[in-house]
Amino acid sequence: MKYIKILFLVLTISILSFSSKAVTLNAIMENVPDTHFIKELLPDFTAKTGHEVEMDIMGYGEMHPKMVPSLTSSTGSIDFMPVDFYWVGEFARAGWMMPLDDMIARDGFDTSVYFDSMMKLVGEVEGTTYMLPFYNYAMGLTYRKDLVADPSHQAGFKAKYGMDLKEPTSWDEYMKQVSYFTKNGTEYGVVNQGSKADPIAMEWSNYLYANGGRFHDENWHGELTSDAAKQALKDYIHNLQDHGPVGAASFSFDEAFNVAAQGQAYSYLTYNWFMPSYEDSSQSAVVGKMALAPVPGNGSLNGAWGWAIPTSSPNAEAAWEFIKWVESPEIVAKRALMGGAPTRSDAFSNPEVLAKYPHYDALNRILASAKNFPVFTYTPQFVEVMGTELSKAVIGEKSIDDALATMNSELEALAKKDGVYKN
Amino acid sequence: MSNNLDLSDRRFGYILTAPTVLIITLVILFPICFSLISSFFDYTLINKSFNDFIGIDNYINSFKDEQLFNSIFVTIYFVILVVLLEFILGFFIALLLNSITRFKSIYYFILLLPLLINPIVVGLIWRMFLHPQLGIFNYLLSLINIEPVNWLGDPQMAFITIIFVDIWHQVSFMIILLLAGLSAIPKEPYEAAKSDGANIYECFIHITLPYMRPVIVVTILIRLIFAIKTYDLVYIMTKGGPGDSTDLISYYIYRSAFISLNLGEAAAMSLILLVIIIIITIPLFKYMNRLD
Repeated sequence: MKYIKILFLVLTISILSFSSKAVTLNAIMENVPDTHFIKELLPDFTAKTGHEVEMDIMGYGEMHPKMVPSLTSSTGSIDFMPVDFYWVGEFARAGWMMPLDDMIARDGFDTSVYFDSMMKLVGEVEGTTYMLPFYNYAMGLTYRKDLVADPSHQAGFKAKYGMDLKEPTSWDEYMKQVSYFTKNGTEYGVVNQGSKADPIAMEWSNYLYANGGRFHDENWHGELTSDAAKQALKDYIHNLQDHGPVGAASFSFDEAFNVAAQGQAYSYLTYNWFMPSYEDSSQSAVVGKMALAPVPGNGSLNGAWGWAIPTSSPNAEAAWEFIKWVESPEIVAKRALMGGAPTRSDAFSNPEVLAKYPHYDALNRILASAKNFPVFTYTPQFVEVMGTELSKAVIGEKSIDDALATMNSELEALAKKDGVYKN
Repeated sequence: MSNNLDLSDRRFGYILTAPTVLIITLVILFPICFSLISSFFDYTLINKSFNDFIGIDNYINSFKDEQLFNSIFVTIYFVILVVLLEFILGFFIALLLNSITRFKSIYYFILLLPLLINPIVVGLIWRMFLHPQLGIFNYLLSLINIEPVNWLGDPQMAFITIIFVDIWHQVSFMIILLLAGLSAIPKEPYEAAKSDGANIYECFIHITLPYMRPVIVVTILIRLIFAIKTYDLVYIMTKGGPGDSTDLISYYIYRSAFISLNLGEAAAMSLILLVIIIIITIPLFKYMNRLD
């Protein structure tokens, strides 16, 4: 009896001491698959640390307006947060994110497992690490591999263009394939996401990089009036109007995906996380027929979210515990196996992950070569300008030269306003 | 003695109404004053302080902004068309509903349904219906060999489509108010007119319209104000595009505040919008007062 009393006392003291350290972490999260996968894995975090996590899950559009009031107050209500690359410049300049370098060094967290481009996009800002990359939404080429493997198409393509029909690696090769498959094996050679502002701006960035163009030089002098940029916009308008479906100028990514998923388009240049959806027979008529590849001509646009701790976080240490846990190799591998889109390179060499999702091999290649969108304080504003100008060029309201000239001058004006433009 | 009583009564009245006046002041006047003050500062989401006074620069920038003027013109066209078409259609349906006696509640319920749906949901439903390849509208048109219509990808068609969807969603509002006015008209004038040999058209012109005038003015006034502030439909359906063909002013101001992060300039634009609404509605208010 005496031993039972002692045991009871020890247990009570343990529970009390455990619960005194344990906190409930609050976060605002986007309503995307990765969030739900992490939510499923949370009991493991609570078992290891005693901390609970409350996730306020919402649509992308609601996140920023809801986060900012908490970030601007001295004691906020958010303990950790995912940060879209769009917001990195703004959040860093406003001082809303806590530097993580000391915590990373103290606990020996290995950041070399992340791709360089990923750390530059959603990791470091001017030499300080504010985030650890969370999930990626790099863009790639999704195309009908069954059509490419078809012997009659291979013979037809060779006869027409004098080259083999295979996964396209150069931009010119891809453009030929788009033209070849229009009304030949499928209805459209390509489906575009031409809606303003974000969909068209992101998609066209791939065209820009694939044509060898870029947004600006090292001093932020705009390069959007270059020949490469002009050719990129010419190609985009040509594909949308001559090889794509009616209405593509108003398509957001979900509408464009539906056209591709119903087998009506040979290709769709989009976010890699659509691949599992192509394999879902409840929403796709092309199960087993789609493949993912880097945008031909090394044109893939990078995209990602990072984990950050707000400077106003009431529980910064516990929040760091969470980030370490969620970005640990075990949890990242589990998330990848559930269908998530991790950023750690070791997840892409995990045999179990590759066996379940063969497209991760292509994703590995995409992430290794993907190029970043300009990240500065006014990224969202620049996307808005880009979206409007590109849309005007697509509908013929503005010439290619005029639309690009406006984009270029606005980019430089915003860069000057932000102080990143150097003479 | 009587004067003291009156005075104390008045004081008692002030005390009773004070909480209401205070709440109204806080809820209505405070945001307007805050907007007015922030419109004179370089007040952004990154720099949320009143340290950088810039005078009327935000107003000057707004007046220099071609996009804002485009939005104002798009909004004016949109408001004129939706209010006019919704009024004509709404009045016609209200007259029909007023004349029926059986299953009235069923008709009411059906007509009220669109109004009960959240505008965001309305936008999403219609986006699906209007998908050029997978939507039901183009499918039905294909059955009679009509080429697919580019509902939201063509600038003119996108503008017309937004107007159509807004009418579908909001016409019930007109019907309810106009029907309330119609059912309040006494029967006697109609009976007297009929005994004098007046036809339906004469009854409408000489009895219905004069009786309905105050209700019509109030209905148009309310709908006009709501239409100027339309935001949800373009946000979901077109994002103001293609180009800037459906870029309504409320959506443009939203982008200035929460995408361009420029709260000061957005506040200036909001106050310009407020002045526009006041200028448009003053003649209607004056007309209402004359009717009273």
